Amino acid sequence: MLEALDTPYLQRALLAGVVLAVPLGLLGSWVVLRELAFFAHAVGVATFPGVVIGLVLPVLGPFAGALLAALGFSAAVSASEADHRLRGGAVTGLALAVALAAGAVLLTVLGAGAAPVDRLLFGSLLAVSTGDVLLCVIAAAVSLAVLLPMLPRLAATTFDGTWAGPAGARERATASAVLVLVSLVVVCALPAVGSLLVSALLVVPAATARLMVKRLGPMLVWATGLCAAETVAGLLLARSLDLPPGAAIAVVAGLAFGLLAGGQAAASRLTRVAPA
Amino acid sequence: MSIRASPTVAAGGLSVSLGGREVLSDVSFELSAGVFAGVLGPNGAGKTTLLRALLGTVAHRGSVRLEGRPAYVPQAGAIDAGFPIDALGVVLMGRYPRLGWRRRPGAEDRRRSLEILEQVGLAAEARVSFGVLSGGQRQRALVGRALAQEGDVLLLDEPLTGVDAPSEAVLLDVFEAQRRSGRTVVMTTHDLAQAARVCDRLLLLNRSLVADGRSDEVFRPEVLQRAYGGELLLVDGQTALLDDAHHHHHGR
Repeated sequence: MLEALDTPYLQRALLAGVVLAVPLGLLGSWVVLRELAFFAHAVGVATFPGVVIGLVLPVLGPFAGALLAALGFSAAVSASEADHRLRGGAVTGLALAVALAAGAVLLTVLGAGAAPVDRLLFGSLLAVSTGDVLLCVIAAAVSLAVLLPMLPRLAATTFDGTWAGPAGARERATASAVLVLVSLVVVCALPAVGSLLVSALLVVPAATARLMVKRLGPMLVWATGLCAAETVAGLLLARSLDLPPGAAIAVVAGLAFGLLAGGQAAASRLTRVAPA
Repeated sequence: MSIRASPTVAAGGLSVSLGGREVLSDVSFELSAGVFAGVLGPNGAGKTTLLRALLGTVAHRGSVRLEGRPAYVPQAGAIDAGFPIDALGVVLMGRYPRLGWRRRPGAEDRRRSLEILEQVGLAAEARVSFGVLSGGQRQRALVGRALAQEGDVLLLDEPLTGVDAPSEAVLLDVFEAQRRSGRTVVMTTHDLAQAARVCDRLLLLNRSLVADGRSDEVFRPEVLQRAYGGELLLVDGQTALLDDAHHHHHGR
């Protein structure tokens, strides 16, 4: 298996995966803490019709198409969710379904080249180009540049907006920055894991990290490390068993979370039953 | 204590409308430095709105003055208790505004925060997750966060509601120490008896300012009746208040 590391496509895939782990882990932690998991998944799906349109309009291209779709979706959904009659993800859920349907319809109507649907939805990390790797580097650099100076604001507004707002944390600007970053990172991760699985890498490692630590700093580090480790493990598994890489990574990440959450639940039950 | 300008809090003809409804109307008062003021009134009287107007986070008519920097303890309800942070981390957050929201807290911020934890009786809980602290301990950590702001005016929104007796005693000591050091302390509360005991100035609010003065000036049946209306009972010449939030009975 290890001799396959010599192949350029696997090297590119590993590099892309490890680099992507930085924005996915860092931003994913905030997605989990700010309860944006469902929203982030919907942003991923919303890129699908954007990619299809981008593929048939060469002026646009799939990257810009996906990014515009993600940003438009974010803006529209967060504006509608301000309506208190539609709280709790109703708008997100309906927009997600509509976006998926629109993508399927557009794909048929426009016949978007030879783009295989499964590749758009599930990505193909083993087929990423040098350009895709560059996108991952850009996503990582932008996320670090935006998130690191914003950490105090993010922590304070996420923990307690009623205090952070009056204390000067610029709550709304912080929230908007997170939504824009989610769009950017999701779009950069599309070639690797596709629109349906990108949220798995954004949410699962961060949620797993949350179970492991008590403080924010270690959570950010663990989320990033887990994301990288799970990506590498999933890739190697996919390579050796000939599985779709995005799906293999998501399954590995899901298993890690399940084992940890299950183990913790069992352990706490045991300590509760056992006499002190 | 270092020399500080004497900060004052004042409102003149302050009115606030929320969602087309006038929540505060024509409220005027002035608090000089070193005053511990209690803001009383039934639910919906505009107590929280008054604090938010003083903080400048809600649109208002009339004038509001708050000299110096405010430190704020909001009601504990809106907090995400699942956030990965310990008691020390919560207090350290209070340093962020002073650090311009960019710089990380340094050794001095840490030392000061540990001192504050000591002051609110949480020294042993510094590394305990906020989510597993008791209600009273959480409130002490949140007051610690406000102390770490080192503001000139301390605005407290029902800091003692639902807090256990030991925590309440610690917090009242802390508020009193703040007042003694020349800060202005403004606290909303439902507990009339306690406010009469600890505050040197009472503002009785019900959309407008019903009364403003010392407890013997404010706690007269006809005055309380105007603020609390039907929720107030007169029993054997004593005032019993059916507190709208908890239906506690406070004799006087």
